[in-house]
Amino acid sequence: MKIKIEKRLNTPRYLSLVVPVVSIFAALLIMFVILTIFFMGRIGSFQGAFSETVSAYKELITWPFFNQYGLYSTISKMVPLAFVALGLSFAYKMKIWNIGGEGQLYMGALAATWAALFVFRGITSPILLITLVAIFSAIAGALWALIPALMKAYAKTDEIVVTLMLNYVAIFWVDYLVYGPWRDPKGFGFPGTAAFPEPAMLPTFFDGNVHIGIFIAIAFAILLQYIDVKTQWGFNSRIVGDNKKAATYSGIKVKKYTIISLVVSGAIAGLGGGVQMMGMQHRLMHGFSPGYGYTAIIIAWLAKLNPIAVIFVSFLFGGLLVGNDQLQMFYKLPISLISIFQGLVLFCLLGGEAIAAYRLKIEKAEEVPANE
Amino acid sequence: MKKLLFVLAILLFVASLSVAATRVAFVYVSPVGDGGYTFMHDQGRLYLEEALGEDVVVDIIESVPEGAEAESVFRGYAQRGYDIIFGTSFGYMDSMVKVSKQFPKTIFMHCSGYKTTDNMGVYFGRMYQPRFLSGLVAGAMTKSNIIGYVAAYPIPEVIRGINAFALGVSYVNPEAKIHVVWSNTWFDPTLEKDAAISLLDIGADVIAQHQDSAAPQQAAEERGVMSIGYNSDMSAFAPNAFLAAPIWAWGPYYVKAVQDVQNGTWTNEPYWGGIEDELVDIVMSDLVPAGVANLVYAMRESIIKNQFHPFQGPIYDQDGNLRYAEGEMASDEELLSMDWFVSNVVGRLQ
Amino acid sequence: MDDYPILEMKNIQKAFPGVLANDNISLEIRRGEVHALLGENGAGKTTLMNILFGIYHPDHGEILINGKKTFIHSPQDAINEKIGMVQQHFALVPSFTVAENVILGLKNFGFIIKTKQVEQQIKELGERYSLPVRPKARVWTLSVGERQRIEILKLLYTGANILILDEPTAVLTPQETRQLFSAIRKLVKEGSSVIFISHKLDEVLEISDRISVLRNGKNTGTLNREEVDRRTLVQRMVGRDVLMDQEKPKVEPGPVKIEVKDLTVKNDKGLTAVNNLSLEIHGGEILGIAGVAGNGQKELAEAIYGLRPIETGKIQMAGEDLHHRSIKKRIQSGLSFIPQDRKSIATCPNLSVMFNIFMKNTIPGLKKSSAWNIQIKQMHEKTRELIRNFSISTPSSKTRVRYLSGGNLQKVVLARELSSNPSVIIAEHPTRGLDIGAMEFVYQALLEEKKKGSAILLLAGELYEIFRLSDRVAVIYEGEVMGYTPPDPSYTEKIGFMMAGTREDSIHEN
Repeated sequence: MKIKIEKRLNTPRYLSLVVPVVSIFAALLIMFVILTIFFMGRIGSFQGAFSETVSAYKELITWPFFNQYGLYSTISKMVPLAFVALGLSFAYKMKIWNIGGEGQLYMGALAATWAALFVFRGITSPILLITLVAIFSAIAGALWALIPALMKAYAKTDEIVVTLMLNYVAIFWVDYLVYGPWRDPKGFGFPGTAAFPEPAMLPTFFDGNVHIGIFIAIAFAILLQYIDVKTQWGFNSRIVGDNKKAATYSGIKVKKYTIISLVVSGAIAGLGGGVQMMGMQHRLMHGFSPGYGYTAIIIAWLAKLNPIAVIFVSFLFGGLLVGNDQLQMFYKLPISLISIFQGLVLFCLLGGEAIAAYRLKIEKAEEVPANE
Repeated sequence: MKKLLFVLAILLFVASLSVAATRVAFVYVSPVGDGGYTFMHDQGRLYLEEALGEDVVVDIIESVPEGAEAESVFRGYAQRGYDIIFGTSFGYMDSMVKVSKQFPKTIFMHCSGYKTTDNMGVYFGRMYQPRFLSGLVAGAMTKSNIIGYVAAYPIPEVIRGINAFALGVSYVNPEAKIHVVWSNTWFDPTLEKDAAISLLDIGADVIAQHQDSAAPQQAAEERGVMSIGYNSDMSAFAPNAFLAAPIWAWGPYYVKAVQDVQNGTWTNEPYWGGIEDELVDIVMSDLVPAGVANLVYAMRESIIKNQFHPFQGPIYDQDGNLRYAEGEMASDEELLSMDWFVSNVVGRLQ
Repeated sequence: MDDYPILEMKNIQKAFPGVLANDNISLEIRRGEVHALLGENGAGKTTLMNILFGIYHPDHGEILINGKKTFIHSPQDAINEKIGMVQQHFALVPSFTVAENVILGLKNFGFIIKTKQVEQQIKELGERYSLPVRPKARVWTLSVGERQRIEILKLLYTGANILILDEPTAVLTPQETRQLFSAIRKLVKEGSSVIFISHKLDEVLEISDRISVLRNGKNTGTLNREEVDRRTLVQRMVGRDVLMDQEKPKVEPGPVKIEVKDLTVKNDKGLTAVNNLSLEIHGGEILGIAGVAGNGQKELAEAIYGLRPIETGKIQMAGEDLHHRSIKKRIQSGLSFIPQDRKSIATCPNLSVMFNIFMKNTIPGLKKSSAWNIQIKQMHEKTRELIRNFSISTPSSKTRVRYLSGGNLQKVVLARELSSNPSVIIAEHPTRGLDIGAMEFVYQALLEEKKKGSAILLLAGELYEIFRLSDRVAVIYEGEVMGYTPPDPSYTEKIGFMMAGTREDSIHEN
């Protein structure tokens, strides 16, 4: 009898749930050891360090998910993540690797600000103004994604490089505007625009702690899920995603699908920028996104590009970020330890995916492998 | 259910125990290890813990991004019943205003901002005073009459500092010009060093700065010219270049603010402390000749005694307009919203 | 030429997933001979040579050089054994000069490069073998023929005496080909051996001393040039004794359903693949196209379907010009295509049987389905029905098709292509790689469509298949129709001549 490691022919369904759960568990376990060692240095005794670690872990889980205020924070954090991840998964389904979520988010925020502060200044109906600002932000994200889309479709450039580069261009655009022409004249020169007018702010609930952006995100997730499973578009996009030659052979215009998927992807990310402006920031500032567009790539991936799963994974990730803040705030963990933890989670998730592609096979010695 | 009650009881018990000590939190924008602005706040925090001992429980969080990210941090502290929360970056302003309205029992203290609420105050230091003094040193020491200034962001705090520095320079050396380069960073050693080098390349022989890293100092050291630091004594980074630095000393103020809260005497009156309050000061190295040092000490005394104000007329701006006539002085409001350069500054407000 | 074998390959076996590329092949190369390896595309020629050159490793078998058992693990080993290979795609650095490229090919060119010396040697070598090159010219400025000469000189420079030339004439003009042949003759005269891979009969007959014909991964035997003629070579290449075991259904031909007029199409290399070709097919008729693979069949099929642009000419379906019609429109007007490459073109390997059946969205019989509300449940039902009708062996309609065998995969393609009531069907090698049972299934399915009145264009390598199905046989050679014959084995000889490039009208004179 010998044990052989071989590549799986197909990944069983249950693995897509088991892998992330086991991976996160593994990350927590490794971090537990690191934290205990860290606390031993501080407290001195193993027992004290152990119980300190246990209570830190309780904090990590209870505050973001089971405390009222922690939940508010989690939900607020997940909204931009969810929007961008929804947009990205839409393109990833067709194996079009849009890395430009960050830039599209920024351009959406920029257009939202332009609409709210300049173009539609004076509109007092909240429904009208919010709709217009949202449309502007979605169009801006779409146009920003149209550039790599056209370049990919007609000049065969690599969308990964182009979308990534455009992120920096978008951030510099925003910086130029908030330091320059759009700087709030009453803002004491601080790099930021004036605050959005009242009617351009999204309605809130829970005493102003959560804005309705979360419902917009959920609505989009449901819509995208419907498009995926119930429409000709969703059907065809799977064909394009699996085999572009077969798609062409089937009469599907691959170029058209490439362009539309990137543009829609950018529009959703851009809308996320608009929602973040209207619901949370209320003014365009330098560096308003701490890399939501990049975290969203991981979320889209972990959610296996399923829009409904994106919502849940965004929730978990939002909570993880909030929980990390808590560890820093109340357990005096240095920021570098928190970074280690986040790195560990990613490492274990990716490693788990890689390992899950293989399986152990126990075969009897006398068995001769069949020549297929 | 029983379990839950038990946990609640323990929580209440713990909460009641901590009533005795005032719970204080500091929210920093960069890592405490930056050796600059946040480092000096954290020095103040240590001073506070040292001074009040058992009476305070202090927690900190580093590297909290400005904007929406900060909101959940402030909410987290406030919801846990912290008595006083210090936010040390300008960009926390909107978040602090919003959270302060939701938690009226917590005192919010915002460094460098201008918005207050019933339970949110603002505090800052008259850094322009020691900046003026460091300008005296630079003006006396330059030989090329080209002084480089690596500026952070074009916001009033930074502009005010440049102007005070420039006025100090012209006080002793009307010929010298201050060349400004913007890095648009608070802490980015690579970028800030590059900015300093660009100034050295045009012939600057003194480099001043507003960022938290010591990179501009090191650039000056490498070229064998002189430098003016910021935040703390940076002589260790550039022993052969470092002349002087305007510095922060937050400790005594933090002790006072916490005691005000403990005694119930806290108000949301804006606080703007100067050299006279020991909130800011200047340090000089041995490289500064005694004559220059004596001039600096003398001017420092006049400022403390309120006999001298760095922004006192006549002051002209870059376009030659008389901003303050002989005998006129800039008001605090004008200083807080300054958006123009004095006449011996070369460079543009972006 | 000596009788002494300089190289022997014995019982070489090499399997790739799903294909036995080399099946117990033995080959013997003598000193000073031109040995042609003849066979259709996919017969195993290139695999065998890649094994000899150390790129692949055989599953079984051994290689003897000068009678000594030798292991060739890498191209470097092969070069050490004085074996050189000119691939179909050249490995030259365009921005370097000829001499620099030759130096690059050396195992160790030393620390100080004596470019002058190398240039002189290249010039001499070139003159000696009538392979004129300019050593100082940059490669990008040279023609394809010149580049090929450099590749050969590179080999000679390293001292190779067994040269493998993989389809060397595919990219050459007739003049360049003549030049190459004269160089080859000089090479063998000086004692080198040349293995000449080709599927072009004329060239093989012109240059070779001995000829080995490969078919389906087997060596059908090595023959002396004097012993063979075109016909025997074609028979050996195309294989299988032709049997007529079943009656074809008689169908009264209907009106012309598809018409191709003066069509010219280029292949991927930009060379003319279909040359001014015309044909027409009636409803209820199967037109079989016979020909050695690589003579424009694939390009013809792709051009009609719309996957390949046409240079000149016209394609009409039911009297309407297809020129500006998208593939989608062509599908909707009843054009079906069963491509040879069913894995990479005709199916999505990671999608389910249902997806592959409905890939073109043309299967009739679904109630009320719109682009915004597709009826997945009904589609699965319909798929299950087709799985039964076409007896596709699959666990369910949700199984990914990559797990299906070749025969079942082809049945999925047939189920899709034949269930949409096509009026014209292009079937390109529809039975390649299938076992006898699956083959028969394909035949029956196509004949069934014929009965329903479809016009079918059958492109096949196997004459058996063409005789079995077709109503008429057209023979194609270098993109042109050489002539037509009835589908009867008694015409095999005539077909063979035409497959080798002789026009029907000139056969009687031969």
